[in-house]
Amino acid sequence: MFEKLIDNSMAKSPWIFHVNAGSCNGCDIELVSVLTPRYDAERFGFRLTGTPRQADIVVVSGPITLQTRDRLRRVLEQVPEPYVVVSLGSCPKSGNVFKGSYSIDGPLDKWTHVDVSVAGCTPKPEAIVAALAKATEILKEKRKEMRK
Amino acid sequence: MTALLWNLFYVLIFPGLFFCILMGILLSGLDRIWVARMQRRVGPPLLQGWYDFLKCCGKETIVPRHAKKAVYFAAPVVGFAALITIALFLPVVGGKPAFSGTADLVVILYLLTLVSVCMIVGAAASGSPFAGVGLSREMVAMISYELPFVLVILAISKVTLTADSGLPMTFSLQAIWDYQTVNGPLIAHWSLIPAAIALLFVIPCEVGMHPFDIAEAETEICEGTLSEYSGPPLAVFRLTHMVKMYIMTALFYVLFLGGISTGIVAVDVVIFILVCVLLTFITMSLPHAACARFKVEQVFQFYWTFVAGLALISLILVWLGL
Repeated sequence: MFEKLIDNSMAKSPWIFHVNAGSCNGCDIELVSVLTPRYDAERFGFRLTGTPRQADIVVVSGPITLQTRDRLRRVLEQVPEPYVVVSLGSCPKSGNVFKGSYSIDGPLDKWTHVDVSVAGCTPKPEAIVAALAKATEILKEKRKEMRK
Repeated sequence: MTALLWNLFYVLIFPGLFFCILMGILLSGLDRIWVARMQRRVGPPLLQGWYDFLKCCGKETIVPRHAKKAVYFAAPVVGFAALITIALFLPVVGGKPAFSGTADLVVILYLLTLVSVCMIVGAAASGSPFAGVGLSREMVAMISYELPFVLVILAISKVTLTADSGLPMTFSLQAIWDYQTVNGPLIAHWSLIPAAIALLFVIPCEVGMHPFDIAEAETEICEGTLSEYSGPPLAVFRLTHMVKMYIMTALFYVLFLGGISTGIVAVDVVIFILVCVLLTFITMSLPHAACARFKVEQVFQFYWTFVAGLALISLILVWLGL
């Protein structure tokens, strides 16, 4: 019974850690706007946390630059299981306008599992909220699998 | 045998573990909803604190390579146990604490410090540089609020000094409660009003609420003291934070608004809970919504000049016999 309560709480209290992997700051601002009064992601229990140790959802924005690649991998290794990776915007998925650049080592799924990806440059806040809501469901599933 | 059962009831149900957790979750949930409403948001559900606790229990625990494992795991548990012990000394209902002593106010002072010290020790054991910065800030916060807190307690003890005890001052919560039953709540005593205001300022810093949360500044130093914690130890730390909200508001109730008893236990408990809720709104939600986080030296300066000054005014007035 207790395990079931934990499973349900997984979806109700997801804490976000945001990694900027060379983003232009556009997606970062849109992610912050999700937490503002208009979209208010806290009503689903979302909370922006400052350390990867407490994260449930890792949001990655930006094409993976050579400078941020190793930092990104280190951050992802520090996150306790179960966790979900969300790629925010077109950059981590395809490289966007930076594709083919000498300083890019993407896409994101080369380095980790991408569970939800939001397209757009920049994505709309509504799309980000929808993606985060989907991420919580995946988080719950992952917890159930981990228990087995 | 019945005495043992009663003691178990005190420790585990009321006013111990179960009641503390219940009140902590209620107060933290209300606080978050109020802050959200003041920012024109909807806010999280009332039981968000409970969901956070359960979720943290279900996560993997990572012990950093440089951590001292035993201390890393013991610190949150010892801190939480110390906090629950405080609840047993508070005469919240009908003026009867579960356990009482001649100087339980001093014990409470030490136990409250122990809670903060456990957080510092846990942070130091985790071996992270961010936690190092966080624990030094936590120490500054402790030094800041301890001085006005002690001054307030001295002023109260001087007022409630009873002739028959033969002691220079009384540090017994039972005696303070009995004094208030006879002479009315201490907040109505005009020379103690500055002390009451000072204690209202001490509450958010002691709990580590937003404008004073210099030790856990998530934007500057990655959650500070908690930066390496994950899984169940983190859950216990979160719970400690929530229960501390209840303990501090209850302490204010006992020290300044105690002595009121209708004779019916249920009515007393409801009044007590309402006072705790009101105090949470005044001391924690309002500053949280109104202020940005203070700098470290601003907190120190504010508490050692303004708040300590208020407490000192009360102390001087009381010693002059006013």
